[in-house]
Amino acid sequence: MATRKEVKNRISSVKNVQKITRAMEMVAAARLRRAEQRIADLRPYAQALRKMTRQVAEAAGVEARNLPVLQEHEGGDRVGILLVTGDRGLAGGFNSQIIRAGIEQQRIEQAEGRNVEFSVVGRRGASSMRFRGEDLRGEFVGFTDRPAFADARDIAEQLIAAYVDEELSRVDLVYNRYVSPLTQYVRRQTLLPIQQAEVFGEGVDELAQQEEVDSELAEAHRRALWVYEPDPEELLAELVPEYAQLTVYRSLLESTASEHGSRMTAMRNAADNAKEVIGDLTLEMNRVRQAEITQEILEVVGGAEALS
Amino acid sequence: MAGENTLHAKVLTPEGEVFDGDVEQLSTRTAVGEIGILANHVPVLARLRPTELRLHMPGGEIQRWAQAEGWLQVFANSATVLVGEAIPPDRLDQAALRERVDDAERRLGESEEGSGAYGQAERDRDRAEAFLRVAGATDA
Repeated sequence: MATRKEVKNRISSVKNVQKITRAMEMVAAARLRRAEQRIADLRPYAQALRKMTRQVAEAAGVEARNLPVLQEHEGGDRVGILLVTGDRGLAGGFNSQIIRAGIEQQRIEQAEGRNVEFSVVGRRGASSMRFRGEDLRGEFVGFTDRPAFADARDIAEQLIAAYVDEELSRVDLVYNRYVSPLTQYVRRQTLLPIQQAEVFGEGVDELAQQEEVDSELAEAHRRALWVYEPDPEELLAELVPEYAQLTVYRSLLESTASEHGSRMTAMRNAADNAKEVIGDLTLEMNRVRQAEITQEILEVVGGAEALS
Repeated sequence: MAGENTLHAKVLTPEGEVFDGDVEQLSTRTAVGEIGILANHVPVLARLRPTELRLHMPGGEIQRWAQAEGWLQVFANSATVLVGEAIPPDRLDQAALRERVDDAERRLGESEEGSGAYGQAERDRDRAEAFLRVAGATDA
């Protein structure tokens, strides 16, 4: 049986662990709030851009939709997968479930005769994939705590270039979709070719409703003689790739929120677990102390009996 | 609504709203050239290139940002600027920008003209150079 001192030491070390995990939980909670705010901050921009796109698309006419980023590459055999992980660990299954989903997708693509080239966001994902012997097409690290739009732009531009130059026939995105601090799930989404419905807002009712609010202004908007710089066709050609940038940016923001949410939950569980362990050890310590007292009494009684 | 000699201006980036208020003039650069928007301008929808974005306040003060590529829409005496980045000039890092220019030049040398990679390098270089000019303008 352990001595009282040993048990005492273990209790104090578990208490330290508990303090650290509680602190990490609090830090993650604060960062999560900021990450949620940044997702909300993106909304007005995305809505304004969608409105402009509809206007430009109408002015340009349907034939202008023949843009390289909208074209499907038939029969291509090289698929790009962008895995969005974090720079740091200690966040439950946050990083590993992305890696697992990526590997699973690679297996499916290979079974259908296509090769997969990985690009990775985040140090954790990059090092796991390299450890598995994968050659990475792109590695983007050092910003997953607070991704900037410029980071997303760089990633998207690189993937668009590879797609337009026909190095890749399709690009998928795998990231942790953020629902709530307790719920995140792995989502796979096609980044390129860009989905037309998404860009042109087809099937998005919310836009139609907004316009009805002020129909007089909307009418004036339609009738106005607009100056387009440059032509609507050229404008559209530059507008559409921006959707890939926004999609990547949004996935980075969601991934960051998921990471903090996942870490918060993992750290809370660790702290709760530490509390339980401390309870068990305290019981153990009391038992050891009681055994020591019993032993002492027995010795005293035994000594007294020997004398009488 | 904005007053007689002012227009309402809104500057949005994916990272949030940068400005929302009345201005006398808005200056930026479109794919065609420099543009200044005053009150009651005709409706415009334009592609913006990296440059210095200037908002002339009613009091005479001028607010400046280094803006990345974006979009400008002017309608009903109200201007909306959508840009990827809008950075105050004093927060630009000249050394980092020079590095970006060099890196883009290197990629331009490595890629084929007209390819997607070439276009990307070109945009990166133009953006970093435009930001450097904005950073230099405040030092002078």
